Amino acid sequence: MNYLIPLMVVIPITCALFLNLLHERTRTVKVISIIVALALPTVPLIANYGVQYFGGYQPLAQDPTIAIGLPTLITGTALNIFHPAITYVFGSAQKLMIVVLGFIALFAIYISLYEVKKASGVYAYLMLMGTASIIAMLLSDDIFNLYVFFEIAALAQVGIVLVSKVDYNYETALKYMILGSIASPLLLIGIALLLGVTGNVNITDIVYSIQHGLVNPQSPVLLMACSLIIFGWLYGTGLPPFHTIKSAMYSKALPTGAALLQAFSVFSFVAIGIIILRIFSYLPFAHVFIIGISLVAMTLGITMAITQTDFKRLIAYLAVGELGYIGIGLGLGTALGITAGLFQAVNEAIITAFLFIGFGTIMYKTKKTDMRKLGGMLVETPKSALLVLLAGLAMAGVPPFNAFQSKLMLVQASLNNGLPEIAIIMVLLSIVTFMTFMRAFHTIYLRPRPADLEIKNEKIPNITLVAMVAFLVVCLVFGLFPQIATNFLQGMAMSIA
Amino acid sequence: MNIYDIILKRIKDVRMETGNDEPISNMAASSMLTAEITLISTLLIAVVMLRLLNKTLMIGLVVLVFVLLIVAMPIMPRLKREQNDSLASMSFYVIIGLAIIVTLFYWGNLNV
Repeated sequence: MNYLIPLMVVIPITCALFLNLLHERTRTVKVISIIVALALPTVPLIANYGVQYFGGYQPLAQDPTIAIGLPTLITGTALNIFHPAITYVFGSAQKLMIVVLGFIALFAIYISLYEVKKASGVYAYLMLMGTASIIAMLLSDDIFNLYVFFEIAALAQVGIVLVSKVDYNYETALKYMILGSIASPLLLIGIALLLGVTGNVNITDIVYSIQHGLVNPQSPVLLMACSLIIFGWLYGTGLPPFHTIKSAMYSKALPTGAALLQAFSVFSFVAIGIIILRIFSYLPFAHVFIIGISLVAMTLGITMAITQTDFKRLIAYLAVGELGYIGIGLGLGTALGITAGLFQAVNEAIITAFLFIGFGTIMYKTKKTDMRKLGGMLVETPKSALLVLLAGLAMAGVPPFNAFQSKLMLVQASLNNGLPEIAIIMVLLSIVTFMTFMRAFHTIYLRPRPADLEIKNEKIPNITLVAMVAFLVVCLVFGLFPQIATNFLQGMAMSIA
Repeated sequence: MNIYDIILKRIKDVRMETGNDEPISNMAASSMLTAEITLISTLLIAVVMLRLLNKTLMIGLVVLVFVLLIVAMPIMPRLKREQNDSLASMSFYVIIGLAIIVTLFYWGNLNV
């Protein structure tokens, strides 16, 4: 038994529930939040790879002592290898993604504690609850268990927006919940149909049933399940037609909340996307659809970003557009493509968090997000301006940063698949991303300061600058030595391809 | 009238329709123009991928899409107007999206 695997989920959930009760005790909230936030990347870092079973035992085939005395009706059939328990799998890819998510959550929580005078236990509760849910989604090999955490993550995201003191946050959160009330039940119906056809909720067992002819792969019910699960995936991750509400959610959260929300979207995208590939990759149309919707997301996200005047909304749309790159990698379906897609996911989560926190310093100093009312901030915040510039270059895929390596891998993968058009579109949209970012950077930092712009005479908290430097170091390390990340991801990619 | 003027006029028209009578900055117009060109070029490149199905179909569709885009230009102001934060509009596209996905997966996989 590897108890550190469940602890990755249990620690943040337990502490989140405890913090919620303590929201008036600022000092206690701070101390507990600091310790738990540190545990988020540390526990997966020290945990060994393994499998954890909840509420049941391992498959009979793996432990013959349990199978003694059972009839051949069980031991001689597929039941012998099926998983009766809820299974969590912790492999190398999960390790990297959970460490990166924990790393982003660590800084998001720390900054949220130090940028306000009175730490909010409720805010910390929501951040930890959301992080725990996404970790569980990455670990779970049980599609119903994954759905439960998908719902908790959706509610935590709504909560993060609700407690952010940003104009129209209640309205946006309510709209997200209303749209979720369409998409989430449909995802659940998809899972129910899958259970009805295969008699199973364990993903490995479902894949076995389909691959070994225990169920008809062309069953209309299975096809319907596929379409409904994909629809739920679009909602959870913010792909079109949910890109507008998702980008609105990011823009109505505080910078720390937005940094974390986009990380939730990226890792939900990966967790559910991998499941869709594992179960439905026998349908050629599934790959075509993933590539198609990713192209739409990239194009809509990036073209909408150029036209924004609110810098938070601009980054939010860019984040949606960048999700398309991950989808392209998964949709290509080759080992190189999937590795590149997963690598892009890790990079995007870090870079977008970096940008949200970096531009958050402008909000901290001016309380404004409308670029038309900003200018001359280079003089006020020179250090953070430099860091934001580097983050923007990283997002556009400029060497030597990490997204350059992952986007280059994606271009190579699409060329290897005989799809140069996708490679051209990715390069074109990266150039437009660069232009969009430079426009925002020029408007906020370089042009003359408007006469009526009021700037708070307070220093940016050191923790914010430390977080940005830490993100920059990760971007550089993964950019200069991409094999550090790709070695973790290749195993999972090869098992799916 | 050159393309820049056409786009500027269209942005003004769309703003008038939505009751927004703020002056249009040079940056807003050039951003819209960039988005327009990006959208058109991405669409045309994406349509070229149909060569994997049928080359004649691809040529026909590239020409058709090109002509349609030129006629409908500028698209971006209208697209931006559609991609708003109204719940009614978002719900409409969500339902349309669901219908397309279910149709494509259900009939697409069984009949293609």
